[in-house]
Amino acid sequence: MAKPKIASDWLAGCAGCHMSLLDIDERILQVLELADLRATPITDLKEPDESGVAVGILEGGINNSANEEVAHRMRSRCKVLVALGDCAVFGGIPAMRNFFTIEESLRRAYIETPSTDESGKIPSDPELAVPTKVRALNEVVDVDIFVPGCPPDADTIFYVLSELAQGRKPVLTDDKLQWH
Amino acid sequence: MVSITIDGKQIQVPEGTTVLRAAESADIKIPTLCDHPQLTPYGGCRLCLVEVEGARTLQPSCTLPVMPNMVVHTDTEKVTDARKFVLTLIFSERNHFCMYCQVSGGDCELQNAAYAEGMTHWPLQTNYSPFTVDASNPYFVIDNNRCILCRRCVRACAELVGNFTLGIEDRGANSVLVADLGNPIGESTCISCGTCVQVCPTGAIIDRQSAYNGREQDLTHIKSICTACSIGCGLNVLTRDNRVVRIDGDWDAQVNHGLLCAKGRFEPLVNDKERIATAMVRKGARMKAATTKEALNAAVNLIKAAEKDGAMVGAFITASASAEELHQFIQLFENVKNARYGTIGSIGYLQSMKTLALLAKIERESDLIRVTDSDCVLVIGADLILDHQVAGFMVKRNLPAGTKLILASNDDNQLAPFADAILDTKMGLVGALEDLVVVMAEKKTDLTSNAAKAAAYLKEAQSVGVIIGEIAVGSSTAKVLEAVTSLLDKLSSDGKTVKYITLKGQSNAYAAYLLGLDKPVDFHDLETVFVFQSEEILDQTFIQELETVPNLVVQSCYTNSLTAKAQVVFPSTIWAENQGSYINLEGKVQHSNQIIRPTESIPTLVETMQGLAKSLGSKVDSNWSDGLDRHKIVTVPKL
Repeated sequence: MAKPKIASDWLAGCAGCHMSLLDIDERILQVLELADLRATPITDLKEPDESGVAVGILEGGINNSANEEVAHRMRSRCKVLVALGDCAVFGGIPAMRNFFTIEESLRRAYIETPSTDESGKIPSDPELAVPTKVRALNEVVDVDIFVPGCPPDADTIFYVLSELAQGRKPVLTDDKLQWH
Repeated sequence: MVSITIDGKQIQVPEGTTVLRAAESADIKIPTLCDHPQLTPYGGCRLCLVEVEGARTLQPSCTLPVMPNMVVHTDTEKVTDARKFVLTLIFSERNHFCMYCQVSGGDCELQNAAYAEGMTHWPLQTNYSPFTVDASNPYFVIDNNRCILCRRCVRACAELVGNFTLGIEDRGANSVLVADLGNPIGESTCISCGTCVQVCPTGAIIDRQSAYNGREQDLTHIKSICTACSIGCGLNVLTRDNRVVRIDGDWDAQVNHGLLCAKGRFEPLVNDKERIATAMVRKGARMKAATTKEALNAAVNLIKAAEKDGAMVGAFITASASAEELHQFIQLFENVKNARYGTIGSIGYLQSMKTLALLAKIERESDLIRVTDSDCVLVIGADLILDHQVAGFMVKRNLPAGTKLILASNDDNQLAPFADAILDTKMGLVGALEDLVVVMAEKKTDLTSNAAKAAAYLKEAQSVGVIIGEIAVGSSTAKVLEAVTSLLDKLSSDGKTVKYITLKGQSNAYAAYLLGLDKPVDFHDLETVFVFQSEEILDQTFIQELETVPNLVVQSCYTNSLTAKAQVVFPSTIWAENQGSYINLEGKVQHSNQIIRPTESIPTLVETMQGLAKSLGSKVDSNWSDGLDRHKIVTVPKL
């Protein structure tokens, strides 16, 4: 039987969850024995196989139209979708900006920051993604597995990957269940 | 007793017990957020819902009294689903993102509840409405975004402290915690007692000092007592790396039942005074750092020189020192020729406690809580808002339930706005009290004068509690005592249960009095003076009395005008670095424990006194209870 395929991508996050994934260290070889790691931000392949993957993993919340596209594509191409980390599960740190309007956030980021000179201006180009309210992954697409944590512990990630690679649904309890 | 079944367990509990408490008594855990053992049940969070056989809907166990043969289930699918739903509603209502919260990782009851239900996320969309953050108090911050509206703080402020500062403004999801009528907390009637901080289950009210200094489970917890006044409140002190991180009230303490005032909870942590680090000996115009041994030699030489010249030696110790320190102080100086010694501030007023106990027909003083839990409380010559604040809390919190407060005080008493009747002290305290006794004897029902109002309240009351402050004011002491006595006698003869207590001043003033340090010291002709000051703040008159003394030896924690002109200065440990016995205002012997280690070069008062005694060849020991004059005891414990 072919090894199950795993693909991942990151959205409005800090890449910390993928760093934590790398923190499983040499255990990644055990994962590779059980599964076929396909498109990820840290491999050459950038998009999940059109033919579909068994497990899709997304880090980060949805904060613009590009994120929405990536999330929908991953959802349509994977059987099991994992929300990895607090941003994907809850909205996380980027969601702090939801307490303000998008206009306020953009003005703060591109005009009012102390390092911006007088020529500061809010980028607008049809090529650019349109910023939206920051949403947890499950507000945009259906999510099967939630792995909270900021970032989730490497041991937790290894547990989740090995369970999924062996066709089981991971259940997070005790030490593995951390919301921070 | 009522018999009920919870999760198949048969339990017998007294009538009126809530299902929650009944479950607790049988070690069945029902999660709650708004419940707190010290507060009346509120039923606000709905996390404690249980299934009761025969009931149409799930019932909140915290407000549901047991009924005979009730059958309760706490772990059915219906119950756990409801809990998850309740938690989902709470989490999605405000900013409950754990990753940037100070209490995450064990100190948050909300997070713990979610973990206990195995929740990996909440399925509802979060409501991103911003709420106010109030950082106007110097000691703590209120963040309404983290608030779950459990109202523990509101209830604690009212029911435990009697301050009624905190309240909820607006309705439903818009409800916010406010002080008074919406003032910033720092400009409100808040007295910074911090009880709200201690009861808050989430990160909505956090203490500035301990925030981000580690989780409770990673800190060392040490029980001790507060030495700021004679109440001697029980503390639970949290430390890390030999540093005090936070002070909580000890819920189990008999004296204060968890209450603390700002002086006990917050002030010890925000000390910016200049600490003395080493001993110093004067060389001409300059103070030179010295070893403790050198300083001890210099101090002993001053005593020896004085003894040789027949000069007068004076010695003063803080009445906040431990009983061991007070005892050794006496042992040390009773063996010094021409020595006069006593406490830094006079505690002569304590002598009137005994006079009062002898004069009045009620023999002993009572416990504070029994005094304040009377139908009518009379406060004479004390401002419980400024001093002995926890006693003030215990009085104020009973007022809404109908306890009447009568005030007799010479000063602008801050308790006045809470009083039901304020005796007119234009003719002095004595006049006011005598007038009250006269009015009580009359059969008038005219309520126009304050004395008549007070007399009417006293007449209605079954029990009367009397709190007496430092009544020994000048020459009228004897008369005040007589007036208080005749009032107490009048109340007893009217068939009232009368309980009274005198406030003893500094934390160990009562012990100092029992050890015989209550006699005033004559400052005349003192040439060599020892001041064991430790943390006490000196009175200007005391400093002036010592203005012309040529040889001063001071042991103090902080630099001040006395240490500046002393010949020898010893550093001193602060309360947290020291340990010893204290006798509180109720006569309870309590132990102040060492919480952090002092720097090696900093001695305790006892260590300095032992060093001096050794060089002088006199003997000191720590059997302080041998030194107590038991005839002077006015409180119930036999000590």
